[in-house]
Amino acid sequence: MDEQLSFEEALNRLEKIVHALQGGGLTLEEAIALFEDGMSLAKICNERLNAAELKITQLQADFEPEPEHKDE
Amino acid sequence: MNIYSVAEATRYLRELLEADSLLADIWVSGEVSNLTESAAGHLYFTLKDETSQLRCVFFRPKLAITLENGAAVITHGRISIYEVSGALQLYVDLVQLEGVGILHLEFERLKVKLEEEGLFEPARKRSLPLFPKRIGVVTSPTGAVFYDIASIIGRRYPLVELVLSPSLVQGDGAVDGIVQALQALNDMEDIDMVILARGGGSLEDLWAFNEEKVARAIYASKAPVISGVGHDTDFTIADFVADVRAPTPSAAAELAVPDCAELEAHIQSLTKTLRIDVTRYLDRYRQRTDELTRAASVYLGNSLTISREKLRGRELELASLSPLATLSRGYALVQQSTTGEVVSHIDQVQRGDAIDIKVSDGQFKGRVTGSKKGLQGWMNSFPSKKH
Repeated sequence: MDEQLSFEEALNRLEKIVHALQGGGLTLEEAIALFEDGMSLAKICNERLNAAELKITQLQADFEPEPEHKDE
Repeated sequence: MNIYSVAEATRYLRELLEADSLLADIWVSGEVSNLTESAAGHLYFTLKDETSQLRCVFFRPKLAITLENGAAVITHGRISIYEVSGALQLYVDLVQLEGVGILHLEFERLKVKLEEEGLFEPARKRSLPLFPKRIGVVTSPTGAVFYDIASIIGRRYPLVELVLSPSLVQGDGAVDGIVQALQALNDMEDIDMVILARGGGSLEDLWAFNEEKVARAIYASKAPVISGVGHDTDFTIADFVADVRAPTPSAAAELAVPDCAELEAHIQSLTKTLRIDVTRYLDRYRQRTDELTRAASVYLGNSLTISREKLRGRELELASLSPLATLSRGYALVQQSTTGEVVSHIDQVQRGDAIDIKVSDGQFKGRVTGSKKGLQGWMNSFPSKKH
């Protein structure tokens, strides 16, 4: 399984796999392979969620607000 | 000396009036009189006060109030000359009863104008991406609003980058600041959505969000815009133009991103579905295997029965060839006692040899007392069958 997948991509693929498994018409080998892919995608999703840390950047770093925002 | 025609003179006057910016965008208060409505639905009336009168025309009026003679009103429009009659008149685009604040009037005027232009079209509203990666935030860099937004998004869905595009959000410079901050985000390539936010305040405090320039900057944004201005009772022009209106800055942050806890629950339910589905496959194939095994054993059982019957046939055949059957017809089996050798030739015995004789239902011992080669006279000695 691709370790570079983003959360969204992993979730998309997981949902497609669930859909495919529900559809039926697969061989046992295909079903098991999809199941294993799905489980590792779920793991990637959870890892992405747990590892994430909010990033904050600011444009115009020298921005100086006027001292009048008393009610914000 | 130039001599002008009436048409030339009135056109000159009209152009002069229309070049004036105050007359092009003017508020006039007064009392309504001589109100008439044309067949086409246009309103004609005169505005007057103690000293003066001004003719007014209101084409295709959109009125939230009932206009009547004697009503004290505030109107907005442009003043020009109707060349056909040479009359100076106010082309009205908004009428409000007097007593309503001027900001409110301006708000209504801009709202009607932008609505007619299509800036609020529901069809134009863009949906928010489910999993944004970069979210632009236009607000003041100081104060609680950005802090609240960052902590809510950090808690719900920390997979994003917040790009703060700082701006004044009230007072002089707020309008241009907001427009520039939105523009800065619009110049970036990969902003998935924009949150435009400001905390609560008075109508005057929030005024920048009711300005036409801000409305147009929101409309021009490539990324969908969530407005979260003031409290949930405050509606600004920015709210109407934005793709999504949130009642407060915090609500805007919650609308912007999914919730990790919900996503984890969603993923858990997906893996549960996966397990159920793969088990269904396993069960189905197990059952199929069972069925095939059963079918195979039934088939095997059948062929065993067939083989048994064949075997029985062979046994019967064999039985007919058995020496026992021969013995029962009166023949005897002779063997040398010492070696067990079956005697089928006369040379195999000598006088005095001990022999074993077997008949159909028993055996006895004997001794060779003589022998002779050849079978002359044998037929006569053969016992005749008794009937």
